[in-house]
Amino acid sequence: MRKILIVFAIAWLVAITLVHAWLNLHLFDSKGAATTDHKKFRIGFLPVTCHLTCPVTDFINKQMTGDSFFEPVRFNGWPELKEAYLSGYTPATFILAPMAMALREQGVPIKIVYLGHRDGSAVMVHKDSQIYRMQDLLGKRIAVPNRFSNQRLLIFRALKNAGMKPQDVDLVEMPPPDMPAALYAKAVDAISSGEPFMGQTELDGYGRVLWLTKDVWPNFISCVLAVHEDMIKNDRDTVQRLVDGIAKSGKWIDKNMEHRMETAQFVSKFYYNQNPRLLAFVLSKPPDRVKYTNLVLRKPDFEEIEKLGREAGILNGSAHFEDYTDASFVTDDTKVQPYAWEPSEDEEHGR
Amino acid sequence: MKSTAAEISTRQRSTSKVGSMRARESAPVGDADSLFWRIVRPVGMAALFLTLWGLAVRWSQSDLFPTPGNVARGIIELIQKGLLFKYIVASVFRVSWGFTLAVVLGVPLGLALGWYSRAFQAFNPFIQILRPISPIAWIPVAILWFGVSDAAPIFLIFLASVFPITVATIAAVQNMQLVYLRAAQNFGLGTGELFRQVILRACLPQIITGIRIALGVAWLVVVAAEMIAVNSGLGYLIIDARNAGKRYDLVVAGMVMIGLIGLILDLLVRQLEKFDEVRWGYIGRRK
Repeated sequence: MRKILIVFAIAWLVAITLVHAWLNLHLFDSKGAATTDHKKFRIGFLPVTCHLTCPVTDFINKQMTGDSFFEPVRFNGWPELKEAYLSGYTPATFILAPMAMALREQGVPIKIVYLGHRDGSAVMVHKDSQIYRMQDLLGKRIAVPNRFSNQRLLIFRALKNAGMKPQDVDLVEMPPPDMPAALYAKAVDAISSGEPFMGQTELDGYGRVLWLTKDVWPNFISCVLAVHEDMIKNDRDTVQRLVDGIAKSGKWIDKNMEHRMETAQFVSKFYYNQNPRLLAFVLSKPPDRVKYTNLVLRKPDFEEIEKLGREAGILNGSAHFEDYTDASFVTDDTKVQPYAWEPSEDEEHGR
Repeated sequence: MKSTAAEISTRQRSTSKVGSMRARESAPVGDADSLFWRIVRPVGMAALFLTLWGLAVRWSQSDLFPTPGNVARGIIELIQKGLLFKYIVASVFRVSWGFTLAVVLGVPLGLALGWYSRAFQAFNPFIQILRPISPIAWIPVAILWFGVSDAAPIFLIFLASVFPITVATIAAVQNMQLVYLRAAQNFGLGTGELFRQVILRACLPQIITGIRIALGVAWLVVVAAEMIAVNSGLGYLIIDARNAGKRYDLVVAGMVMIGLIGLILDLLVRQLEKFDEVRWGYIGRRK
């Protein structure tokens, strides 16, 4: 009996491994993914609008040249994304600006090379609630994505503007995908994270915008593109190509509303696995809810984040703009041209 | 030389047969139950549960929590997209490997630690310290060591299932009946034969129980293990559905599929208990 069991167990392992390799790892594809993939470097991203230029660059490159020069890897939360970067699995990643700055302070060889977006966050409250001003949040519970998130700094700044102290509200950390349900169930009084999770509560009819970032902190930055220092040292051309690509797709998204709607379609379908209506909503209502131009690194922006980060106790001030950024890849935003690609009307977006 | 624990037990079984038969006659639920009722009871319970679930959603007027119908449509959608089979394969693949590694390492380790008391003294505190640490706590370590490839979830599943197997095996060896050992000594068995022919066979029923528990645990941690950025699997399905906005039907669909496959796995492992090599260990406990 033992022999039968062992033979069966081995046969089972071989069979399930082969089926997994065929269905999920695509090892038997005729394209020979294994031969090209090892040359591509991986970029970590989350399914939020702050990281939108990552899938857009990948998609447009595939449409224009038949292949992309990097492999986007989607994560589900900040800790996993950060750990994959630290382990070297993703040499480049989209990341929260204060998180990258804090990592730099802790000696991690990380360099911010470009911004991911501007604006694109909001504070939402339940539509039945009596909260209409910042002062109404006194003693209330607000969810933020992470202690290193700019949304937390944003709320501190808004509290300050309203003459309140951070202790006046109860901040809790929560993964952005869980926020809409928490607001619906009134487990928290207000939520704040990157889109599209804020827009979702509005679209589903139970969330109300308390304010958009552009109202409190114009040109707000939350996520940036960061790469490993060694990559800049050893393979500057590739980093240049990456930053150029991200800059071009940012311009492409912002060129006109048709591009934004097209983006909502293909990004939802192939990268975020969300309802396209949702992305279409946050990219258009209002159109300046989130912006993808003017993404060059500027010192004053980061000095402000540094100052707020120190006040919030997440940064110690030991790293400065020159330490955690390399702004040399794109210095003049006005010279960046959008990708010269137009989606054809009846195109089947095959990946 | 081939006198084994199983043979000794055969004799034991023939003497205990009378007792077990008596127990069977006095049991309230006997073989007289028709197949019909054995199917109707669980199916009826499931139907009642689904009805209550549907009514509860309707009464609470929640438009986020799905009804059983929504979940069924979610599952059909996954089948139509060809995702369900893919995800099941991915999860079963990871559990198969993690669990196999746990058995291959856990059983010999348990036999050795159960037999050599000095080794047990040395290793037992380590095992007891590592055992209560949740696989979720290991996620950061797994990512740092293995990146986000398949190796990371396999490692987590291995960690979760190796301890129940090791601990059950140790206990089985330590509580083994002395009569087997004395018999083995009389026949003058060497260490290798002693382990293979006597200790392993005498402990097999308890080891199988440990394996059954471990398989349950291995399948239980599949969601946590797939929270790492792998892009397939039933655990991934749940996490991905959370990202996708209001798709709680898919969240529950993932839960339902994990539950159903868990049931199938348990039924399969139960078949192991029917082999002669281990059945003797359960006689008298069964109805």
